[in-house]
Amino acid sequence: MAPGLASYVLRRLAVVPIVLFVVSFATFTLGRFAPSDYVQMQAGSRANPETIERIREERGLNDPVYEQYGRYVWHALQGDFGTSVKPRGVPVSDVIFPRLWVTVQINLLALVFSWLIGIPLGTLAALKRGTWLDPFAIGTFLLFASVPVLVSVPLLQWFFVLKLHLLPSGGWSDASFFGVDLGIFSARAVLPVLVLTLAGVASLARYMRAQVLEVLDQDFVRTAHAKGLRGDVVVVRHVLRNAMLPIVTIFGFELAGLIGGSIFVETLLGIPGMGLLFYESVTARNYDVMMAIVLLGTTIFVFAMLVVDIAYGFIDPRVRLGGAG
Amino acid sequence: MAARNLVYVLTGIAVGMIVIIGGLVFALSLGGGDDDGNGGSSNNSPSSSVGPRQKGELRLFGGDPITLDPACASDADSATYIVEIFSGLVTYDNNLKLIGDIADHWEVSTDGLKYTFHLRTNVLFHDGSRRVTADDFKYSMERAVNPDTQSDTGDVYLGDLAGVDEYITGDATEVSGIKAVDPNTLELTLKAPDAVFLEKLTYPTAFVVDKNQVKTFGCFDSGWTLKANGTGPFKLAEWSLGARIVLEPSENFYLTPKPSLSKVTYLIAGGSSYTMYQNDELDVTGIGSINIDSVLDPSNPLNKDYHTSDNLDVFYIGFNVKKSPLDDPDVRKALAMAIDKDFLASDLLKGLTEPANGIIPPAMPGYNEALKGIKFDPTAARALLDSTGKRDELSKLKLLTSGQGAAPNDVIDAIIAMWDQNLGVKIEIQQEDFGLFLTDLRDSNQELYSLGWIADYPDPQNFLEINFRSNSGNNQSGYSNPQVDALFDQADAEQDPQHRLELYQQAEQMIVNDEPWIPLYHQKASYLVKPNIQGFEVPPFVIPFLRFVTFTD
Repeated sequence: MAPGLASYVLRRLAVVPIVLFVVSFATFTLGRFAPSDYVQMQAGSRANPETIERIREERGLNDPVYEQYGRYVWHALQGDFGTSVKPRGVPVSDVIFPRLWVTVQINLLALVFSWLIGIPLGTLAALKRGTWLDPFAIGTFLLFASVPVLVSVPLLQWFFVLKLHLLPSGGWSDASFFGVDLGIFSARAVLPVLVLTLAGVASLARYMRAQVLEVLDQDFVRTAHAKGLRGDVVVVRHVLRNAMLPIVTIFGFELAGLIGGSIFVETLLGIPGMGLLFYESVTARNYDVMMAIVLLGTTIFVFAMLVVDIAYGFIDPRVRLGGAG
Repeated sequence: MAARNLVYVLTGIAVGMIVIIGGLVFALSLGGGDDDGNGGSSNNSPSSSVGPRQKGELRLFGGDPITLDPACASDADSATYIVEIFSGLVTYDNNLKLIGDIADHWEVSTDGLKYTFHLRTNVLFHDGSRRVTADDFKYSMERAVNPDTQSDTGDVYLGDLAGVDEYITGDATEVSGIKAVDPNTLELTLKAPDAVFLEKLTYPTAFVVDKNQVKTFGCFDSGWTLKANGTGPFKLAEWSLGARIVLEPSENFYLTPKPSLSKVTYLIAGGSSYTMYQNDELDVTGIGSINIDSVLDPSNPLNKDYHTSDNLDVFYIGFNVKKSPLDDPDVRKALAMAIDKDFLASDLLKGLTEPANGIIPPAMPGYNEALKGIKFDPTAARALLDSTGKRDELSKLKLLTSGQGAAPNDVIDAIIAMWDQNLGVKIEIQQEDFGLFLTDLRDSNQELYSLGWIADYPDPQNFLEINFRSNSGNNQSGYSNPQVDALFDQADAEQDPQHRLELYQQAEQMIVNDEPWIPLYHQKASYLVKPNIQGFEVPPFVIPFLRFVTFTD
């Protein structure tokens, strides 16, 4: 099994550069073909058109796209992913990583909470099928998931901030512990985590419910009951273990999704995260930042999927990696 | 079975809503005392949720700057911080009077060509390392116009100096018009007299920078500004990218009053500033059309905090006067006469703006109260358009706006509806990403377009010549009138300030008669300021003003 796994991993890794090439080339080209560029957009209408043209020329923005792309790749291979143009002259890593860290902190906590609520809730709903509790529980969280954040955020702000005076209305704390920025340990983090958690529970709970129901119908569960095992033992040992398997895939996706911020939540709550950064880097033609975010996202996604596939093999021996091998 | 489940799902949703609504009602009953009780949010101790505020700290909402390099910034967001951190020869005080900054006083030669500035001898950089001399100004100004710096404002604000062109083309190694006579004396020579040269020097492009810090950095390498070492009233204490900018008063500052605030914190990550203000997380917030009704209600405690001040701007519909049928002045006039500007300003924009009669805003020197603008007259407008016979041709045109999202703004919607109703003309809206919008304007690809102009300094030259001189790079409408150009030439050479303003008034009247733009409205700054703050008045264009702000408690 071990050699099969190793060759499987190697084969998967071999595809990574190709994926990165395709994604980066597409992003780069689309970015450059978008109308205007950062020199023109930042200059504003007072600037002298000839001056703008000269600066564009000097900065290589008039070169053919393949040439610009080649230059980008050449520098990237040497570890230079370029500099931001808003703010100007800052290495892309200094722009991206602080904001990535903010987004990861919020998403991670929201992920933990939505799993802590969603998995038991889905299981409960499945076990109580046929009673009022099942559609009631799912229905309640469906409501939370269906209310758009554009509505829920102002509502929560009004409730918790203006009426109860329990929370600050937004922003991100500059708290740090032992030199590590940990804004998550602040009242400012409560609203974003709450919003993302409430929105995330329903889909997870419904998925879990479906899985549990499927397993409950299987022969081995009936056998377990027939053997005279206690109900809770059957649920924990046989039902949950099997029902959790497909959920692992979702977990992989969600891990990869940790770096993706929500534009709306961030804008409404004033959080310096990734969603807003990516949106702004596109509208400001901040090419290098845009490229770095896409490359980073792609890499993390590809590796998260790989880890999920491998983990799957360990959790469920019926899945054999490497196919016929 | 299925029907029963549906009932339960609906019950679940209903209970969810009851939880939400019940919670809100509960909150209302709890918090009800706040709304009609004491004055404003600063008194009802929500601070437990916010954390302590440092005494004398001013907390503001700010834009995310592109750069803090004075030689490079051309946007208002960046300039807002730069004018507080850096400084130049001259500046404006809080009454919009031009005053000496690092220059203590100056003389202008009788031919208007030579400016001799006598510098203050007590001006230090923030780090206290050394004092500012005339050499520093020579270095900073030459850096701004040096092509290697790649500044897009250098030639706009300093292009009047003698020898700049030779320096840009590389035929000279220094700008001959900038001379450091001695450490305390700077002599600037112009190519031709310019009535607004001093005004141009108030713009960051002409500010002084620390050459030890800047070294060879160009505009797109201005990462050094994260630790900017300036000479302005405030020093940059922290710039946390995308999150906050913190300023602290400079102990070396040389003008009076010195800053009295202990700290200025700008939140630049966005959020709901109105909510933050109500919860005492901000000391100032802007007010938009969403909140204006509630704020203007006298029973609202926030009503006491409400302030407005005039902006120097104009928002307008422009015509590409080179495209048929917009090349016909009667067509343009008919479109202008069909717009009810009073409705736009008072009903739609709820008093946040003032209807524009001409181009120059009322707070600008040279504003002409007697200007004959084009009045709203739907009947005459229809008759005028009928007489041109160009209604069908006009209905094929598009109005270009910049923006994203499904809904263009209410004003544009209302104007399109007025044209339809009053003239029977159907004009389509074309909304474009800002980048494409700029490109289309540059290449004259537009037909009608909506845009605004905000002053760089309080002088009509800044409005009229830039937008309406035939050969101006910013003349997007393509307007060209030799008589107007002649008036501009006269005004540029005019030494008598009063007569100069009269020349601009004549030019403005001619332009309004030709109607290459429909001036719509002038905006007002509308904002809330906490009652314990004094001297916070949003200036009509970007100038340093935080040193005039004080806390009364």
